[in-house]
Formats: sequence, C-alpha cells, structure tokens
Amino acid sequence: MKKTLLLVVIILIVVSSLTAETKLKMESWNRWTYQTEDGELIKNEMALKRGYLRLEPKFGSNISGRFNLDFFSDDDAGDGAGIKLKYAYLDFSNLLPVKDLKFTVGLMKTYFGTIYSWNYTTIEKDPSDKYKFVSSTDYGFGLSGYFPNGFGTYQAAVYNGEGYKKTGDELNKDMNFLGNIRVIPIPGITVGGSFMMKTAKDSEIPDSQGNMIDNPEREEFTQFAVIGNFAYGNVKILSQYLNQTKSTPNINGSDDVVKTVISLMPTYKINNKIDLVARYDLYDPNSDVDDDGKSLMLFGANYHLMRDAKNKPKLMIQANYEIETPEDSDADAVNTMMVQLRWIFSNKLK
Amino acid sequence: MKKSTKIILIGLVVMMMSVSAFARGKKSTITIAGSTTVLPIAQATAEVFMDKNPDINISVRGGGSSVGIASIMSGTVDIGDASRHIKNKELAAARKSGINIVEHIVANDGITIVLNNSNTIDALTLSQLKDIYTGKIQNWKELGGKNMPIVVVSRDVSSGTFEVFNKLVLKNAKGLNSALMLASNNAVVTTISTTPGAIGYVGLGYVTDKIKAVSVDGVKATEKTIQTKEYPISRTLQMYTRGIPTGIVKQYIDFVLSPEGQDIVEQQGFIRIMDDKNK
Repeated sequence: MKKTLLLVVIILIVVSSLTAETKLKMESWNRWTYQTEDGELIKNEMALKRGYLRLEPKFGSNISGRFNLDFFSDDDAGDGAGIKLKYAYLDFSNLLPVKDLKFTVGLMKTYFGTIYSWNYTTIEKDPSDKYKFVSSTDYGFGLSGYFPNGFGTYQAAVYNGEGYKKTGDELNKDMNFLGNIRVIPIPGITVGGSFMMKTAKDSEIPDSQGNMIDNPEREEFTQFAVIGNFAYGNVKILSQYLNQTKSTPNINGSDDVVKTVISLMPTYKINNKIDLVARYDLYDPNSDVDDDGKSLMLFGANYHLMRDAKNKPKLMIQANYEIETPEDSDADAVNTMMVQLRWIFSNKLK
Repeated sequence: MKKSTKIILIGLVVMMMSVSAFARGKKSTITIAGSTTVLPIAQATAEVFMDKNPDINISVRGGGSSVGIASIMSGTVDIGDASRHIKNKELAAARKSGINIVEHIVANDGITIVLNNSNTIDALTLSQLKDIYTGKIQNWKELGGKNMPIVVVSRDVSSGTFEVFNKLVLKNAKGLNSALMLASNNAVVTTISTTPGAIGYVGLGYVTDKIKAVSVDGVKATEKTIQTKEYPISRTLQMYTRGIPTGIVKQYIDFVLSPEGQDIVEQQGFIRIMDDKNK
C-alpha cells in the first residue's frame, strides 16, 4: 500500500509538470447494504464500495491520457481495504487522416455492450460486468471514432484478454478481438451492437516430461451484444441482449454452453434533482439447462444534491431496492436494499 | 417472466412517458450560458430585448463554450453560447439523448493577437505565431523587437477560443507547457496590459486601447478582413438551442439576428453576419 501511495505522489508530480493541463478527479461511493433471503438477514453492511483517484493529463491537443486507481474497503476485502489500477492509457488523435479518429493504447476501456459508458444510474453493475461477459478494462490497443454529424460511434480493439484483475495461472497467450458500433439514425433512437472473440487458458500446456499437450481447461468464447436505446424528453429506456457461446475444444464430445441476458432499464428525470430508475434483467447461464437462471427487478431513485458547471453529478444519494428471483421455484429470492452517498470532485492541477 | 412483473414494467414505462409529455409548461424566462467571447453579445442583446419585452427575463452567464454546449444538452439553459462549432462527440451525445441541437450563427469574429502597448512589434506571421506558442521563439529580439523574453499567454483548454486558435495557428501542434492558461478574455487583456513581454489572443470585441493588436500575415483584424475571411484567424460565434426555437426563445434569437441585433453585435466590437447596411 505504501509503495502504491508513493507511486501516486510521484505520478502526480511528474504528470503535472510535464503536461499542458492535468485534471484531477476523485469519486467515492459510501454504501449501506441490507440484504435478506427468505426473510433471513444475510448482510447489513456499511462500506466504501468504491473510490477512485483519476488523473487526466493533456500533453497538447493530440495526446491525452487517463490514469485511474480504484479503492475499496468492505467486509469482503482481505485486509479491510484494497487498491487496483483500473485505467492507464493514452489517446492519440490525428494520427490518421480521418476526422475524430483516436488511437488508444494501454489499460483501457472494454468496448463491449454498455460497460464502457455505464455511469451507474442504478447502483447495480452493467449487465456485461454483473454476468461476467467482460472485464470493464483490459490491456490493449484500439481505434475509436465518430460518424459524421453525430450519427454514431465505432470502436475496434485488440486486448490481452484477462482484464485488470487476473494474474498468474489465469493468464494466457491469446489476444481478444472486439468490434463495436452505435448508430443514431434519428435523435433519441440508438441501435448497435458489439462482437467479441476471447479465450481463457492456453490451448497447450507442458506435461510432466515437458512435452506440449492439449489443455483440457482451454475455453473459447464468441459473444455479442445487441443494443437499443430510446430517449424522449425526460424518459430514457436502455435495452440490451447479451449472448455468449463457450466451447471447450480440448474436451472431446463437449457441448457448447450458451449464456444469455436480457436487460431493460427505464429512467425518468423528474427534474434536475431527482431521477426515477428501474431495471429488469433476465439471466440464463446455460440455455440447455432448465431452472438455472434468475431475474433481477430493481426500483430506485437518485437525488442530486449538487452538480458541476456542466451539470454532471457532484453529490448524490442513490437508493435502490432489488429483488433477485431464481428460476428454480424451490430457491428463495434475495431482497437487497442499498443506499449510497456518491460524491465527486475534480479540479485542474495546471 | 411472471405476468405481474410484466404488468408492473409496462405500467412504469407508460407512466414515465405520460408524465414527460405533460411536463413542459409556459415560461417567461430565458436562460443563457457559455462562451465568454459571446457573453458581451448575449448580455447587450438581452438588455435591449428585455427593455422591449418587460414581461420577459433573460439570465446570462459565461462558463466557456464547453459549458454552454453541456448546459444546452442537459436542459439547464435555453441557449448555449459557443465560440467554436459543436464537436461530433457532443452532437452524438445529444442525438443519443434525443436532443436535436440547432446552431444559430450570430456574429463573425477574428481571434486578435495582442501585445503589451510597450512592445515595438506591429506584425507577425502565422508561422512566427506557431513558433512562439510552441517555444521555438522565446525572445522578442529574434523577431526584431526588444531584448525581452516572450511571456506566452493562452486560454484554458476548455475554451472555444483556445480550440479555434489551436486549430488555425498551432495546426494541432503541442503548445508550450509554460504558457499561462487563463480562464477568460478579460483575464488575458489584464495580463497583457500589465506584462511588457506578453503575447496573447482574444476575440476582437475585447481589444481596447490598453493593449495592442498586431496584424497576422500582413492583415489586420477588421470588419472587412474578417467578413471576407482575409484575416487568417477568423471564425463565427454561435448560439445553440434544443431543436428549432419556439416562443420567447425564438423571439430572442430572431432579435439577435435582426438588423437591430446585429447593430448591437457591432457595438460590442464583433462583426455582423450580414452586411444589411448595404442592402
């Protein structure tokens, strides 16, 4: 921890002295969680569920970056607190003669589904994150840009494949490939999708004599997301369908496993202070198995105590009530009440 | 999905849409925010417009072009001012949120290069400006002036004026790290007027006798050279609305674009968008 803090201080000094401008941002989520299953209390916890320190240096108009350290402190954290490097990337503009095209390299966003633009309107995670389709960031490089006249966005990227949390035996030598597109044909209607090919574990491993043999733990995934967003006045509805096919090519006769999620999230902005939010997820971890899925129903509200000059949230209270119901009628539903104080501050160092 | 769950979900969506449809009411206040360059135009036109329409109140504040565009997107203002055009990124975000952003060009402007009155330099080229702002030229004597270090004054990177200057002068090259990045046109004028070796840039409307405007590539920033785009650092100034304006917002925009409104634009030191005097 001490080394990490020292690293942060050094980076702060170096970055702020080298750049044209550096933005410093901090965010903290203080959350109370009250969870019951079949009327029995499972969790009653107050914690710093997430906090982050972010530096966004601009090395001129063509090069900018993001460096992000995530903090968390709750009952689940081994020594009561943890820290992780979440982002460390640079964006290069104008490298190619295409307007608004950007090249990104480093520990960067994963442009799958809605995970890269998820701003936690509900306390609950993005569906791709919650149901383990992708990690929110990963090491890699990619191109991203905008269609002319605001008609949409596109991204293509190559990733290491393990996200920002995995280490050691969990790593493999294959890259992941991703394409993502959003089209906004008329204001308020967004359609698009993502496609990703990824792997887990190396295809071959050495046996006791050092000869390379097929790894039975090898997994290959093909996954896609279909997105449809609707926005009119103060109403927004975000819908998505996620599908992942997992194969184990080194196990003879093994069947593919297809995992799906349907997610629908309507929000209504009553005024600049209060939003109403709702969400419904239908998760099926294996389409060939009955009664193994679950649904999530969520209702909540966000109360904005303060906003910044660009009307972005600065201080807000989020309250969510969610019911997670297993498909199996013998299993009990889990009810969770969450109240979160989320505060954000940012400033320019130079 | 259980039937009751479906009914709750459908009910929720219908309720949200119904409330939204009836949420907009009649108003007699116009709120404007954004570019500090456009600010004097908005303030002066608002003042005259309110005199003519005493039942309408107009609130005007600055914040910068980025704030103006963000505010119009979030719906916290009726008009967002900007001294640069809306970016594709901002346009995409607006369209995604169901907002059709409409641009109204309200004036022409030249980003004027200004020096301290004691400086003997009267003319610079675009190439020399780029060299000054990237640190290749650091003393006025290199340009035939006094032996005096150049103090480079710029605008903060969220400023529309900075973005236009960066595009037209620096051609997106990396600017000098040691440049003073100031938050407003007025701050630039004050710094230049009190710092002998300083160079900066402001909207034409901010040029006063406290500072000295120099020609660029042999062209002075004037009404004619800006209108004809002969002056190399010319631009337009914009007001943005959510959709085609209606009601009192339309009335105000129409007023700014009218001959009377354009006279006020000129009085503020900017260039009218049409030469209606010669019509």
